Amino acid sequence: MSLSAIIVMTASIIALWGVATVALSYSLRQEERKLALIQSQGDFEPLSPRAQRDLETWLARHPEEEPAREVRELLELQQQAMQHNPQRFYDWSTIDEARQ
Amino acid sequence: MTTTISREQWGSRFGYLMAVVGAMVGAGNIWRMPYVTGENGGGAFLIAYFLLLYLIAVPGLMGETSLGRHTRQGLIGTFRKLYGNNRFVGLGLVILIFNIVLMSYYSSIVGWSIYYAFHALIGTFTQTEFDTAVLWQNFSGNTALNVGMHSIAMLMVTGILLLGIKGGIERLAKWMMPILTIALIAIAIRGLTLPGAMAGLEFSFSPNWEYLARGETWLAALGQALFSTGLGWGIALTYGSYLGRNDDIPLGGGIFTAIGNTSFGLLAIFAVFPIVFAFGISPTSGAELAFVALASAFGSMTGGYLWALLFFMGFFFANLTTAIAITEVGVTTYREEKSTGRSKAVLTICGIIWLLGIPSAMNADILGYLDFVVGNWGLPLATFIIMIAIGWKFDASRLRVLSLNRGADLYVPKLWEPIVRFQIPAIMLGIMAYFLYSNLSQTPWKTVSGLALLTLLIPLCMWIMSRRRDTSYVTTPAGGQPS
Repeated sequence: MSLSAIIVMTASIIALWGVATVALSYSLRQEERKLALIQSQGDFEPLSPRAQRDLETWLARHPEEEPAREVRELLELQQQAMQHNPQRFYDWSTIDEARQ
Repeated sequence: MTTTISREQWGSRFGYLMAVVGAMVGAGNIWRMPYVTGENGGGAFLIAYFLLLYLIAVPGLMGETSLGRHTRQGLIGTFRKLYGNNRFVGLGLVILIFNIVLMSYYSSIVGWSIYYAFHALIGTFTQTEFDTAVLWQNFSGNTALNVGMHSIAMLMVTGILLLGIKGGIERLAKWMMPILTIALIAIAIRGLTLPGAMAGLEFSFSPNWEYLARGETWLAALGQALFSTGLGWGIALTYGSYLGRNDDIPLGGGIFTAIGNTSFGLLAIFAVFPIVFAFGISPTSGAELAFVALASAFGSMTGGYLWALLFFMGFFFANLTTAIAITEVGVTTYREEKSTGRSKAVLTICGIIWLLGIPSAMNADILGYLDFVVGNWGLPLATFIIMIAIGWKFDASRLRVLSLNRGADLYVPKLWEPIVRFQIPAIMLGIMAYFLYSNLSQTPWKTVSGLALLTLLIPLCMWIMSRRRDTSYVTTPAGGQPS
């Protein structure tokens, strides 16, 4: 086999099998963490810090529109989870440090 | 009342991921991708393919799955939630009809794979002086046998779907996809140890960089990236509708689905072409490759019984999981629209597909014509309709903040929105225009009649759904208030 074919083959293996394996194992591990949080405290926060910020920005831009109701409901759910749950699913350390 | 009825959910993350990858991995991954790769510049094709996979298939699948999870409805229910109860719900019916027509002829292909898996099981290919070309010719020419295999395929699909999402689809996929993976790996290892096998890898991976400058390479890569991942057919939407509210979508429903599906294509390259080249068979694709060339090669190999059995059972599993997914789109939708039990929905949809599939099973020209119309325009049109619904009607920005990033293992940035709004719909229009341009001179009758059918189908479906609105439903749009 030519060197160029070997390089392409190796890169394809990494880009496909490598990414698929990492994605599968990471996804399954995250699911285990979610299940552990549900078992220990009932639920977990549905949004990451960035996703929460996006939602708040969207609501600020579209406060009067009809879909704003379900956005507010989700934000409320997020706030309740943040208040009541001692353990977090997402990494909030940088946000907490910034607040302190 | 809305048609939201109590919904099953996937039993486990692994089960959902196997089911959705199983839905996308079909005949095309095994009998088409190795040849398309080699014919279009090898490594150059793979680079084009990876780019398009990440630019189109991954974001598109994220959007479709996310919309299904948000509405928790099948195709027509989702369109009713988005557009309200009016004629535009007919666009959902258009996609549903494409799925049913697609399945009507895909069941014949499942039937072929059952027939060959059976022959592998009884050791037909390892008989001395056995001619696989004659077997394929005899099988192709036997109308009753083809209808029989189509019927067996639909009976299997019916039986599995009757067991439900968790007990049927998920349980099956959790077993079949790992077995398919192991089977292909085992065949690949065996193939690579054959003398002359490396020429097969050289054919597939050797990069001809000038192919990157050819439009045909990019079109072939685009076709493979879109049709292989099943983007926009309603499968991801339907499977997504059975996800929990805080389940991840971007990593599982987007990246893993698209990359995992393509990983099977890569595995097929390793499993198929080393054997093809080791036996001096001319590289090809489709039924000729699987049922004639490979069947013949397995018969000549040491331990050929085992390799033939692994390959044809794996091929059958890949086709069956796809057939189940395509049929489930109709089952979920029918169940919601008629507010009926799952058993009745399964029996009705599978019965309709079985009846519609008989002409394709009897006549390969009908199968070819339907594949031509659905493949060239039906599926790109379905993808276009779904992406417009996500990007513009629901609003890509709203879907991203409200559903896509909820419970996500991977944050999806704002860049995703213009991809769904502009890029994918524009590419779909371009594909349809190109297919029209390239087919009109070569097959004018097929092209014009196929386009005429599609052109009539859209207003007809919109008319049907506008007639139904007064009698059946009061719905709750995705925005919230009843309309």
